Amino acid sequence: MLLGKIVRSNSHTDYVCQVYGPGEVQCCPTPRDHAFGTFVRIALPTQPTSWLVGLIYDTVLLNPDFGRLGPRLSPQTELAVFSPDYLNEKAILVGITTVGTLTADGRATQGVPPVAAMTDALVERMADDEVRVFHNAASILNLAYAPLLLSRGTPLAPHLLRAILSQLSDLLTDPAQAALLALVQDDLLWQSQIGILGGTA
Amino acid sequence: MSEKKPKPVGLVKGPGPTPQSFTFISPDPKSVLKAGEFLTYSIMDDGEERTVLARVRDRQPIRPYPNSFMADPNIAPEAVAALLGYSGHRPELFELTAEVVGYYDDDLRSLVNPQIPPRAGSPICLAEDDELSQLLSPRKPDDVGAAEIGWLLSRGKGRVPVVVDVAAIASTHLAIIANTGSGKSYLTGVLMEEMLKAKNRAAVLIIDPHGEYDTLAEMQNLPDMIDEKYRPQVHVYKPGEVKVRIGTLSLADLLYLLRDLSERMEYVLGLAYRRAQKWSRSQHAGEDGRWTLEILRNALRQIGKLEDPENDDEQEGEKGKGKYKETADAVLWRLNVALDHNTLFDDVAQVELRDLMRPGKCTVLQLNEVDKRQQQVIAAVLLRRLYEARVRTKKGQATVTQNSDLYLPYPIFVVFEEAHHFAPSTGDAISSGTIKQTMAEGRKFGVGITLISQRPGKLDSDALSQCNTQFLMRIVNPADQDSVRHSVESVGQDVLDALPGLSKGQAIIAGAAVNTPILCRVRKRYTTHGAQDISAPEEWRKYAEVEEKRLERDAAPVQMLDQGKGRWKKS
Repeated sequence: MLLGKIVRSNSHTDYVCQVYGPGEVQCCPTPRDHAFGTFVRIALPTQPTSWLVGLIYDTVLLNPDFGRLGPRLSPQTELAVFSPDYLNEKAILVGITTVGTLTADGRATQGVPPVAAMTDALVERMADDEVRVFHNAASILNLAYAPLLLSRGTPLAPHLLRAILSQLSDLLTDPAQAALLALVQDDLLWQSQIGILGGTA
Repeated sequence: MSEKKPKPVGLVKGPGPTPQSFTFISPDPKSVLKAGEFLTYSIMDDGEERTVLARVRDRQPIRPYPNSFMADPNIAPEAVAALLGYSGHRPELFELTAEVVGYYDDDLRSLVNPQIPPRAGSPICLAEDDELSQLLSPRKPDDVGAAEIGWLLSRGKGRVPVVVDVAAIASTHLAIIANTGSGKSYLTGVLMEEMLKAKNRAAVLIIDPHGEYDTLAEMQNLPDMIDEKYRPQVHVYKPGEVKVRIGTLSLADLLYLLRDLSERMEYVLGLAYRRAQKWSRSQHAGEDGRWTLEILRNALRQIGKLEDPENDDEQEGEKGKGKYKETADAVLWRLNVALDHNTLFDDVAQVELRDLMRPGKCTVLQLNEVDKRQQQVIAAVLLRRLYEARVRTKKGQATVTQNSDLYLPYPIFVVFEEAHHFAPSTGDAISSGTIKQTMAEGRKFGVGITLISQRPGKLDSDALSQCNTQFLMRIVNPADQDSVRHSVESVGQDVLDALPGLSKGQAIIAGAAVNTPILCRVRKRYTTHGAQDISAPEEWRKYAEVEEKRLERDAAPVQMLDQGKGRWKKS
């Protein structure tokens, strides 16, 4: 499902996507579609078709009305009629960190992608099957981008990884893979919840 | 080796604090990885997969809760963790240190250290029971020369039997060291039962200064000990029943018994002793040790009379008074005090060595009520004779027809209870030298010695270090621990660290009789334990009851016999 388009980048792996608002697409994304930890793909201008795989790690709300305390020419209820452009300035921006690439024929790589996305590149929410393919290349559960996420050093990085692990636990049914995920999940949980308070990791 | 691959209990982290150790991580949810527990891992050695045995030495939790989580004893730290969002199920994780024991080499028939720690990440498994049974001991429980003295402490009762090699004990000596009350007499009893079983039929002598081993006599009638063709014999000699022939005493024995002699007295005694031996040789076809107390006395009297006893002219002094008259009289007086009417020493009677010790027989020599110095002399004389008999028999100098009283055609095993009395670290115990010499050379002649002591610090370190097998029980005293540490090479520091923490009936078995040090739970004895502690409160209560009855009886009105009716009547 289409979520929005890239409007800027902060670095080679850090992009900002403006989520489609009302009227921009036929089916407008709901907050659940661009939730924290959602896997997205960003279209790349390459042939054959390929995408950057990214994760939504942040959400920012833009509201030009905020802080304007002066009088308005049009009342709030008539803005849609008299100043439709003004309404469009309200937006939801999501931060996306890229963690790999995926091709149309199902080849996945994890880590820093060599190619960057362009402005206005389309951002789509990944289907469950695509998430499975991205993590299960050659039938081996792969989470090689985890250190990349944690090395960002942001307070939310461990929570982002936990959110990913939780999603993968629901998606993957192989008991061996589930046990592996449970081990990493438990360790991360201990470190983020207890280790931070003085418990030994 | 078991074909089935066991389930791993942990993964190797890396090298340990010593070259022969490594660390591994385990959640150990069932708390099976106790100190002393045995583990296995696989390595490739010369292209061959080997299963290496290792032993848990230390265990540290590496994921403890913050201290503040335990500030209120009424609140479990898990509850605090749950409150803070930790919903995991494996909060505990341990880092364990293990000592590499080795893999079993079929050619060498022993455990060989691979000299390389396992690779990081290698799986570590709990050793299987049957695998351990094969690796820990060179013998199986039913083998000839096997003594099953208990089971591996870290496993359940009977799962992994601890079997010691009787041949190793009997040839390279044994030390049983433990604090009082830790069960060393009990363990000795178990060992004696095993050694006297039909498959082993040992020839055992127990020097028993406290009279604790008379209950071993029960072995003779126990179904566990007898079969159609065999029944062990146990002979308990009460104090005074064993006689030492006076002629077998050496000059050193006499000097030891006649304590505090001046140098002049020692010299005169030496002269008399040589005369007594000369008499023995002349009267008994060149044989030493046939003199009697009276012969020695006569020799002393004669020396008192002679002008110059060192010369052979036998010239008496003026009025029958020689130059050593007063000294000889003094020695004679001391000789009479020490040996006259002494029930332990006799001119003629002497227990025959082949009666004293023979295969399938345990002789208990009770020496309670005997003076400590006399105990030492008896032990020294007996051990000297036994050793001499074994040497002469092995060299063919004693046979059924020649020197038959020193003919002892089988190995023997002598147990010294309270060994620090017989081979003390300080002092001049006469038995000390004999014990040390026998331990140093006895291996060649089949004389095995067991030293049992509660104070290894007071036991001669040379004697202790000659014991190639050790049964160590609870030892708390640091001096005693040091003594064991310095004298016992085969026990590693990790095992010694466990000594103060052992409970009653738990022992460390180490040395030549097993393949690796083992923490053992001693099995139940077939015979009654003869060294039970006295319950003082119970004894006091019994005494009080008797005393109360006596007082009641004394206070009761006197009754007199009514002569007419033949009945008691009140006065």
